[in-house]
Amino acid sequence: MSGDGSGGGGSAVALVTGGYDHTIKLWQAHSGVCLRTMQHPDSQVNGLEISPTGQMVAACGYQHIRMYDLASANPDPVVNFEGITKNVARVGFQKNDLWMYTGGEDWTARIWDPRAAPQFRCTKIFQVQAPVNTVTLHPDQTQIMVGDQSGIIHMWDLRTDQNEQLIPDAEASIQDIAIDPEGKMMAAVNNKGNCYVWSLGGAAPHPVPLKHIVAHSKYALRCKFSLDSTMLVTTSGDCSAKVWRTSDWTLLRELRNDTQRWVWDAAFSIDSRYLFTGSSDSYARLWDVEKGTLEREYCGHQKAITALAFRDQAV
Amino acid sequence: MATYDNKIWLLKNIRDAFIATDDTGLCEIVMAGEDFSKVFQNKAIEEKKRIREMRLTQPGPSKGKDGMGDISEEEVGREIVTQFDPYPDMDDSEDDDPLCGSYVRYEEFGGHRPRSNTAQWLDKKEQALKKAAKIKVIKWEDSTPLTTDQLAEAFAKFEVKRPEKKKSLLAEQLQNCPNLPHRQYLEYAKFDGTAQLGLPTKSFKIFMTMLPEKYQNYPLVVCVIASAKIKDLIGFTCYKYSIEHPDITLGSVHDYGLCIAEDDGEVDWAFPCLDANEPCSKFGFTCLGLVELKSKNAMTLPPSSIPEDGMSGAFHVFSKVTDSGQSHQNPSRHNTGGSSTSEAVLIALKALNEGGADTDLGKMQSHIMATEAPQYKAYKVQLLRKVRTNTSVQLGISLDRIEVEPLVTHKHAFWSRSKYFLHSIDSVAWCQILETRGNRTTFRIVYSPSHNVTYADRSNTGNSTIFQPNTTYKLHDFECEHDTAKEIVEKVNTILDLRNSPCRREYKTAKEKKLQTRRSFHTKHMS
Repeated sequence: MSGDGSGGGGSAVALVTGGYDHTIKLWQAHSGVCLRTMQHPDSQVNGLEISPTGQMVAACGYQHIRMYDLASANPDPVVNFEGITKNVARVGFQKNDLWMYTGGEDWTARIWDPRAAPQFRCTKIFQVQAPVNTVTLHPDQTQIMVGDQSGIIHMWDLRTDQNEQLIPDAEASIQDIAIDPEGKMMAAVNNKGNCYVWSLGGAAPHPVPLKHIVAHSKYALRCKFSLDSTMLVTTSGDCSAKVWRTSDWTLLRELRNDTQRWVWDAAFSIDSRYLFTGSSDSYARLWDVEKGTLEREYCGHQKAITALAFRDQAV
Repeated sequence: MATYDNKIWLLKNIRDAFIATDDTGLCEIVMAGEDFSKVFQNKAIEEKKRIREMRLTQPGPSKGKDGMGDISEEEVGREIVTQFDPYPDMDDSEDDDPLCGSYVRYEEFGGHRPRSNTAQWLDKKEQALKKAAKIKVIKWEDSTPLTTDQLAEAFAKFEVKRPEKKKSLLAEQLQNCPNLPHRQYLEYAKFDGTAQLGLPTKSFKIFMTMLPEKYQNYPLVVCVIASAKIKDLIGFTCYKYSIEHPDITLGSVHDYGLCIAEDDGEVDWAFPCLDANEPCSKFGFTCLGLVELKSKNAMTLPPSSIPEDGMSGAFHVFSKVTDSGQSHQNPSRHNTGGSSTSEAVLIALKALNEGGADTDLGKMQSHIMATEAPQYKAYKVQLLRKVRTNTSVQLGISLDRIEVEPLVTHKHAFWSRSKYFLHSIDSVAWCQILETRGNRTTFRIVYSPSHNVTYADRSNTGNSTIFQPNTTYKLHDFECEHDTAKEIVEKVNTILDLRNSPCRREYKTAKEKKLQTRRSFHTKHMS
């Protein structure tokens, strides 16, 4: 997180969840009360991302990418991105809000320019040979990792449009990719529940395989590094989220709950102490990673929560 | 002003109704923006011709003055023709049209809802357009090659720094907010109807009847999804209330029931609670009162079947009557005895008013007592006997009678069998607390068998006679918990004061006389 992201009109701490019930909910994270519900018509929510200023939240779903104003009470989107015919799996922002990136089932990753009247419009498209399941921006803002259904990770260089491929397991689809905030590690999970870690930015110009963890017995759905890069969380269809130590890749916590079902998404707090998860049982949960305890539950969605985004504030 | 004898308005309404109800959209296409009177005249002629031809090939039941009657039975033609037909008459100004009578079924569109459905539909469309206008649309544009400078500007490389350790505002907020009263009702949060897309919802005004008076001034407006069950509605009400009033502790969702209430929050105790397992969409009431099930049951438990030995009982032995005035009760709910709303209210009030006494509330309390007293209520108490052991009975009190019904425990033990008594309230003369020992309080109900007009007195056993001269007074002594006893005595006395029967007046006079004699004796003695 850059220092200039502290402004913005939205609430300082914001938890946003979305899912199969075609709504996006903004929560007061510490009390568990739903503050607002925004409409996401015609589609489930596949991915959520809060803009660097904290003002907007972007949601992607079937044929839709929409932006909602977190600061106002408007339940409708304020920006609609059009021209996509398939599911959009992920959405994200460039650090300075210059552009937005998406990836989806139309076998492409795209760079969008949401600016009103730019001097030049910086749109880009990157075509792969299979549906894109995930896109992740490298913290240096010049590379996008595109993970697809055929199990390939494409490292798309935005300046040269060249790409490099990684294929950890050709028979499993890449479900999510994460790069730690220091830009030194990249993790990817696949639909067999395996997690692969590479080291980046070392002496070697290419990613170097670092670790292979059999993280889950079933489908893995997300992976994310904590802000201090000491932890990696993987979520899965085995109804758990697992937190791994990046120092020795041992399991730190297994976050389970009797009613919890598939865990679709997760997000760390800024101090890496707390972790939010969103599950098919329509609950989002807040865990204390240090203690391994369940701290809060967020109930309000009618159906599965498939995406969440969290924005914390430094004090 | 548009009225029903305004034909043009009526026609417009009918037309709008068709647009609104026609799922095929055909009506809309046909009628929108056209000079309909002319167009329809022509169309009607065509249509009639067509249908007449159809009728020729396909004979059906024909009725009516001109092909209209049977056309209305024709599925396709029906809508169009009934629209068309009135329009040629539009020029006839305000004359009474015999056809108007057949359109009475559109009455609901009139009067308080002067705006037509089309206008509403147009409004909706306009709103949607306005909404759309507020949304900025960014269409995908295929990338144009960027210059090196532009590339460098847009995709500049950032130096990746190790993020410094930060303290989280979330962590701080969590620390400051350790306890959440609404958490126990969290599972009901998903029934919130205020934020649903495409799901039918239902709004209710809920009066928190089980809370102390000062929290009952305003109903809580809750909106739930229509498929939510009554128990979900109760849960969501608790959830919402505990968020808005975190300082007030509510009980378990299972302790509460929802009753029909008036607009002013007055609960209608005559009806049972709404069935907790029914969806709330089933009920048409919008004003409900949240009550404690315990007190509700105590309030409305009807007299169950009268034990057989009651037939030969001491006082007014009723034949096995089913009380038509009582609502039917769910047998799974039991009378749990003493506790009641007013009692809960009293306790809560006491707790809340420890800081400063509120006389207004006290007044209100007595007022409530007076209004609630005539309602039937049953209590579980011990009937005290001189000879035999005490028996637990159900003491039912209502505006017109007091009944003592034994709660049979040993069906075959003859010694424990007791009788069923029923006293008309006009034969009850007095009620008072006798003494309190620990938690138990005894109280007495004095009645006069001779004042019971309808039923002959057949009793003699186990009841002492107090006043010999004119009237015989008999009594029942009961024992129960102090609070319950207090409530019963208060309730009976309120009713007695309300009725002020001759029996009571006589008893009072007799008592006063006796007191005076005593006093005069006393004073005499002293002097």
